[in-house]
Amino acid sequence: MSDTAILTCTGLTIGYRNQKTIIKEVSRELNLSLRRGEMVCLIGPNGCGKSTLIRTLTGIQPPLSGEVILCDRRIGEFSPDERARTLSVVLTSQVQAGYLTAFDIVALGRFPYTNWAGHLTDPDKKIVLSALAAVGAGDLAGRFIHEMSDGERQKVMIARALAQEPELMVLDEPTAFLDLPHKIETMRILRQVAQKTNKSILLSTHDLNLAIRCADQLWIIDRKGNMIAGTPEDLVLSGIFGSAFEIEGVHFDAVRGEFSIPVERRGTFTLSAPESVVRIWTRCALERIGFVQAEGTTADISVTVRNEGDKTWWHYSQLGGQQDCDSIRELIGCITSPHNNGDE
Amino acid sequence: MNLERGVNGDSMRRLAFALPIISGVLIVLFLLDLMLGSVNIPLDALFSIMTGGDVKETWMNIFWDWRLPKAITAIFAGGALALCGLLMQTFFRNPLADPYILGISSGASLGVALVMMSAGVCGVGTIFAGMGLLGDVSISVSAIAGAFAVLLLILLISSKIRSNITILILGIMVSYFCGAIVTILLQFADEASLHSYTFWTFGSFSGVTWNQLPVLVLLLTIGFTLSIFSVKSLNALLLGEQYAESLGMNYHRTRIIIITTTALMAGAVTAFCGPIGFLGIAIPHFCRAIFVTADHRILVPGCILVGGIIALCTDLVSHLPGTDIVLPLNAITALFGAPVVIWVIVRGTRFGRGVTT
Repeated sequence: MSDTAILTCTGLTIGYRNQKTIIKEVSRELNLSLRRGEMVCLIGPNGCGKSTLIRTLTGIQPPLSGEVILCDRRIGEFSPDERARTLSVVLTSQVQAGYLTAFDIVALGRFPYTNWAGHLTDPDKKIVLSALAAVGAGDLAGRFIHEMSDGERQKVMIARALAQEPELMVLDEPTAFLDLPHKIETMRILRQVAQKTNKSILLSTHDLNLAIRCADQLWIIDRKGNMIAGTPEDLVLSGIFGSAFEIEGVHFDAVRGEFSIPVERRGTFTLSAPESVVRIWTRCALERIGFVQAEGTTADISVTVRNEGDKTWWHYSQLGGQQDCDSIRELIGCITSPHNNGDE
Repeated sequence: MNLERGVNGDSMRRLAFALPIISGVLIVLFLLDLMLGSVNIPLDALFSIMTGGDVKETWMNIFWDWRLPKAITAIFAGGALALCGLLMQTFFRNPLADPYILGISSGASLGVALVMMSAGVCGVGTIFAGMGLLGDVSISVSAIAGAFAVLLLILLISSKIRSNITILILGIMVSYFCGAIVTILLQFADEASLHSYTFWTFGSFSGVTWNQLPVLVLLLTIGFTLSIFSVKSLNALLLGEQYAESLGMNYHRTRIIIITTTALMAGAVTAFCGPIGFLGIAIPHFCRAIFVTADHRILVPGCILVGGIIALCTDLVSHLPGTDIVLPLNAITALFGAPVVIWVIVRGTRFGRGVTT
C-alpha cells in the first residue's frame, strides 16, 4: 500500500442549490483523503447525507464550495471519458435488462476504451473474464442477468466496475438487499480487490458490524452532518463510533464490537464449562433471556456444562432445586418456567 | 459450454448464421411482392421487365408505376419503424414504447388534417382532389411539417428537462392535444375530406411516387446510419441513464441524437405512408427473441431486415393477391402481429426470459 492519495477533499461543503441560492447545506468543511489500495466504508444514519457526499465525490453533483481532487486533478476538469477511466461506480438501482448476459454487462465496463461500435479486442475480452473471475463469478459469464439472484447480480455489477479499470471504485450500499452470507461475501470480494489490484474502494453501507471489521478507514457522518474519519479501532476506542449511532435503548458494546440488544435484567448466573463453542453459546442464551454473569461466586442460578463422549448436557441448579437438560432450549425452559423460578 | 455464449460468441454467431437466411427471405418476399397483387405477374415476365425484355404493356406499367416503388417503400418503411421502436424502447427503458410515443405521428396527423380540412372549407378541395388523394404532395409536406413541429417542441423541452420520463409524458400529452384538434376539425369537415383523412390513417405503402421515393429513402438511410453509429451508446443505456453517464457516455448528446433520429424516421414514414402502427412495437421484441440478445450491434441491423420482411408480408396480405380488394394496412399489421407478439412473449416467459428491454 503506497501513501499516495487517490482522492482528497479540502474544505468541501456539500448540499443542494437551486440556480444561485443555496437551498440546503448537508455537510460543511469536510477534509478527507483516500489512499491507493485502501477500502473506506462511509457510514451514517439514514438521511445524514451519504448519498449527497457520494454524488459529490463522483462528480455527478458539484460541491457548494471546496474541492474534490481525484488523482491530482479537480473532478470537474475530467472529460467524461477520462473520468470513466479513473472512477467507476456501482449504484443501488437494479439493472432490469432482459437478454443480457453477465459477460455483456461486464463488457460494458470497457465502454471508455472501445471504438465507436463498442468492439471488444482480445485484451478487452481477457480483462472482462478476469474481472468476472476476480469476483468469483467466472461461471456466470453466459447466464442472463434476469435469471440471477441478487447476490450474483451484485457480483456482476462489481465485476463491471472492475472491468472499467479505474483507480477508485465507489459503491452505493452494495450490501443492501443481500442476506448476511452474501453481505460478507461481497465485503470479502471488495477487500480482495482492493488488496490484489491496489485499487481504492469507497462504499456506503448500513452494516456497521461488517464495516468495523472490513474497512481500512471509516468515514462516519452523524445526524448533524459532522464527519469523523479514522480507522475503525480508533473510533471504537474513543467512543466516537458508539455515540454516532446509539439511540435510546440501543448501546454499542465496545468489547464485542456490536450493538447490544437491550433485555430486561432478570438475575445473575455462574457458568462452569470448559472453554468451547458450547460455553460461548450457552452464555449467549443466558444473556438473551436477561441474565448477566455474576461478579463473584454467588448467583441466582448456576449452570454447568458436562460432557461424556459425544453427549453434552446442561446441569442447572438454583435455590429451588436442580435439573439436567439435553438442549439449551430445555435449559431455558427450566429457567423461565414460573414453577422453577422463584417458587420458594 | 455456457461460457461460449457469453464470450461474445453465441449472439454474434447467431447473427452470422441468421443473416444469409434473413436476407434470402427478404429477397424472396420482395420478388413475391412484385409478382402478386390484383394482377399476377409471373416470375419470368418479372425478369424480362427488369432486363428490358418485351412483355405486356399493362404488366410494365403495373411493375414500374406501382409494384416496384411500393415494395421498396415497404422494405425501408418497415425497417425504419422497427428501428424507431427499438430506439424508443431502449431510450425509455419501456417495453411498450413505440415510434410514435414522442407524439410525432400525432403532429403529422394534425398537419394532414389541417391541410385536408382547410382545403375543403376554403373551397379549394377540388384542386387537391384533382391531384389524387395519396399521391398528393401537399399531404406529405403537411405531415412532415407537423412531425417536425412536434420534434422541435420535444427537443426544446428536453434541453430544459433532464428526466426522460417527463419527456415520455409530454410526448403522450402532445399526442392527446393534437388528437383533440384533429377531432374538432373532423367535426366540421365535409364528407370528402373526412373520407380522405380516414383513408390516410389506414396506412399504405402504395402512395409513394418515383418523385417522392428518393426523398423517403434518403431520410430513412440517414436514420439507419445515425442508429448504426449509436449502437455503443444504446448498449450503455441498457444499464440505465446513470450507469451510462458513469461510463463516459455523453447523455445530452445521445439523447438529442436518438430523439432526432426517431423523429426523422417516424416522421418520414408517417408523411409518405400514413401512421402505420404495430410494426414498431412488435418487431424489436420479435428480434430480441430471435437473436436472444439485447446487444444493439445485432439488434439494429436485425430490426432493419426483419422490419422489411414483416412489412412486405403485411403488404402482400393487405392486397389479397388475385382480388381487387385492398384491406387497410393497419388492420393487417395488428391482426397478424398481435398473435405473433403474444406467442413470443408466452414462449419467452416459459423459458424464463425477460421480454422487457
